[in-house]
Amino acid sequence: MAMLQRRLLKRTLEEAKARFNFNCYPILSPRASFSTLPSSSATASDDVPPQLPPFDYQPKPYNGPSADEILAKRKKFLGPSLFYYYQKPLNIVEGKMQYLYDESGRRYLDAFAGIVTVSCGHCHPEILNAIVEQSKLLQHATTIYLHHAIADFAEALASKMPGNLKVVYFVNSGSEANELAMLMARLYTGSLGMISLRNAYHGGSSSTIGLTALNTWKYPIPEGEIHHVMNPDPFRGVFGSDATRYAKEVQDHIEYGTSGKVAGFIAETIQGVGGAVELAPGYLKQVYDIVRKAGGVCIADEVQTGFGRTGSHYWGFETQGVIPDIVTMAKGIGNGLPLGAVVTTPEIASVMAQKIQFNTFGGNPVCSAGGLAVLRVIDKEKRQAHCADVGSHLIGRLRSLQDKHDIIGDVRGRGLMVGVELVTDRKEKTPAKAETALLFEKMKELGVLLGKGGLHGNVFRIKPPMCFTKDDADFLVDALDYAMSKL
Amino acid sequence: MQRFIPARRLLSVTKYYLRRQRRCFSQVAANEVDNNDGFVPKIPSFDYSPPPYTGPSADEILSKRKEYLSPAMFTLYSKPLNIVDGRMQYLFDDKGRRYVDAFGGIATVCCGHCHPHVVEAIVTQTKRLQHSTSLYLNHAISDFAEALANKLPGNLKVVFFTNSGTEANELAMMIARLYTGCHDIISVRNAYHGNASGTMGATAQSNWKFNVIQSGVHHAVSPDPYRGVFGSDGEKYARDVQDLIQFGTSGNIAGFISEAIQGVGGIIELAPGYLPAVYSTIKKAGGLCIADEVQAGFARTGSHFWGFENQGVVPDIVTMAKGIGNGIPLGAVVTTPEIAAVLTRRSYFNTFGGNPVCTAAGLAVLKVIEKEKLQENAFVVGTYLKERLAALKDKYDLIGDVRGRGLMLGVELVSDQKLKTPAKLETVHIMDQMKETGVLVGKGGFYGNVFRITPPLCFTKEDADFLVDAMDYIMGKM
Repeated sequence: MAMLQRRLLKRTLEEAKARFNFNCYPILSPRASFSTLPSSSATASDDVPPQLPPFDYQPKPYNGPSADEILAKRKKFLGPSLFYYYQKPLNIVEGKMQYLYDESGRRYLDAFAGIVTVSCGHCHPEILNAIVEQSKLLQHATTIYLHHAIADFAEALASKMPGNLKVVYFVNSGSEANELAMLMARLYTGSLGMISLRNAYHGGSSSTIGLTALNTWKYPIPEGEIHHVMNPDPFRGVFGSDATRYAKEVQDHIEYGTSGKVAGFIAETIQGVGGAVELAPGYLKQVYDIVRKAGGVCIADEVQTGFGRTGSHYWGFETQGVIPDIVTMAKGIGNGLPLGAVVTTPEIASVMAQKIQFNTFGGNPVCSAGGLAVLRVIDKEKRQAHCADVGSHLIGRLRSLQDKHDIIGDVRGRGLMVGVELVTDRKEKTPAKAETALLFEKMKELGVLLGKGGLHGNVFRIKPPMCFTKDDADFLVDALDYAMSKL
Repeated sequence: MQRFIPARRLLSVTKYYLRRQRRCFSQVAANEVDNNDGFVPKIPSFDYSPPPYTGPSADEILSKRKEYLSPAMFTLYSKPLNIVDGRMQYLFDDKGRRYVDAFGGIATVCCGHCHPHVVEAIVTQTKRLQHSTSLYLNHAISDFAEALANKLPGNLKVVFFTNSGTEANELAMMIARLYTGCHDIISVRNAYHGNASGTMGATAQSNWKFNVIQSGVHHAVSPDPYRGVFGSDGEKYARDVQDLIQFGTSGNIAGFISEAIQGVGGIIELAPGYLPAVYSTIKKAGGLCIADEVQAGFARTGSHFWGFENQGVVPDIVTMAKGIGNGIPLGAVVTTPEIAAVLTRRSYFNTFGGNPVCTAAGLAVLKVIEKEKLQENAFVVGTYLKERLAALKDKYDLIGDVRGRGLMLGVELVSDQKLKTPAKLETVHIMDQMKETGVLVGKGGFYGNVFRITPPLCFTKEDADFLVDAMDYIMGKM
């Protein structure tokens, strides 16, 4: 008996050692299946992959083209520049709330929400209903005629805004929204210079490429007068969390690099594509002052942080205690509908009346009806509070994971806009690119679809539909723990 | 000796008198009964009743628009219409009154409002998956890209999906600039290509251009057969493009962009022979030729699927939007694999572009156009409509020009046929009266004196008759 106990103890200790092994082996031990069902031959609990929380829903059977067929058509008809995730790309055919289904009916936890876009949940019934009902009545007529949907939605959106932000322009994407914001800033101020943050992403159109400050996304085209200021990045920034020092840099850009007057400043409160980087606390307050003294307007890019995602506030900029002059939004605004918006003050809006500016699809009845339903769902289902609750649980668990695995350099974010940065060396903060790619694949096999970001592609972006639960969060962290332990 | 009466006029006059026999008038037309001749054109019958409308009134909507939407947002008509329902080529206002939609939501609704096959595709897909992005695979985007590419000639087979015409043209311009390494782009005066920074430059009407930097664009003389200085001599106009390149650029340019029929500009067909001559010039300057098919594409011109085919050219890049999805927010850029490869230098990504719902709708649209032979219908009805409008032109001095192709037609009003003085006020008045009679047309042209007739492609001869009769009736009373 004692010998058996000694053997068991020895095995447990060995396994514990392996678990706390800090070496990262690039080759994974071969595994036969990563199904969500626990392995029947499990001897220790950490040999068993974590299981997806249960979900009472059956996807429809899929009879369409296979992944390979689709991939072949994509290569031929969509060009080599249309990239995709995963070595073996996923054929996602159906979605329900925070889950996605592939062609075989396998369920995945969608921890990326179609890039922070599916805010309420895939095929959320209330939003679905609004879209379907409106599509049957009238898809499109343009704003040259009246329709109540656009007016109702504009009113509801404006009521969510502080200050005098109440004139709404509807467009079809984040890029269009930021383009319009830039136009407004330049017209209103009569100045040309725009300021944006290094590591920012604001769009892929010719002007917004100028504001975007990540070389991956910048084609070599003329951008006009744009100043990319130092990123107030608490993790990697040279001044850490010292907002004042970063703000001074903006002051320097204006005083030395411009005529002293600028058109405007634009920033995301938590950089999305850049890797869920939260701006150092107090930064925006100081910068807004500086920019306004230089005659510029302040633009808040809420394409990813808006609509309650940060948990503590409805809008990202509120977490920094400021009120912008122009707010741009897209992505989550329509739970996936092609929709974007710019909200500004009547004063700034009036300069747009000098000429005609018209957006054919913008504000169409279906997207407006969908958008209004989204606002209602977020309020009714108390999504913002939910994001705060689940988000803090998620971040708490991830921080514990950080204590356990050296590869986790930083855990950051707010609510359900979270980033996990991986490094091979905690002091040097060397980006763990290869490991991130590996873990990314591994997580998919385990049933979790994450996002990836950061200039070096070493940040996991966790920004799920806002109906994500604590159980989902636990599953995600357990899966990450499991995957990292196997590295 | 009998006076020779043109058969066409005889026919239209005969029809006019035959219709006077009609006894019953539509409910609203009764308000317009003229005591003199008692005849008001009647909207063709249609077997559909919209559900009763219980939403906000026109006034409530207007006041909310004034408060929460752009101060520059305009409406047509002195008393703006509250349009709440649409079915095929008809729209319904909040009182359930039916109108012939001769504008198609600005040449956008091509299959017909709430066309059952398109709605079905949208609803089915929306219930399954609205959005996931192209980071994952989905068959809807690839199936639609394939079907779209198959509609294009030459080696035009790589598709980029965007969310609007502006986004499509912006991307096309960027691709041209990257591919050639040059910055200069030539567009045509009176063109409309979009409202973002690059496209605002290409757009060539001051009404749409704000006082911001729009670099690297040159505007060529518009090959306008009606108002242009060279009449219909396409090749003479093409020389202006040659001059722009030789004197205004380094001699090498990024490209040339134009609509085959200018939409916003007032349905102006490019003079015959223009595009072939210009394309040749552009190619010699190392540039790419971009065809903006946002309005003229998708069978609207009747004789061909694409507007540029009417001019006998094959562009390097084709942009499209509006009709591509029957009203769903969707745009596309199609080019050759060689040119498309330029975007691999960095990453270009469009979050909403190519989403399952919009691409499912787009595929349904292509199928409907083919199955219901909408291109042929556009040709037949469009030709008929144009003939009737031309007859109307003979009758009224107010009509300066009737032009266009298929169901992309324009009627330009002038107060002096020789001087071609734009009849702006008359246009506004007639447009308003047309609406009262039950026909919704569009307005365009730099002077705002051109009726734009771009209905859903299911428009019938009866609808065409109603439109022309209404116009005749109204002009007759002026």
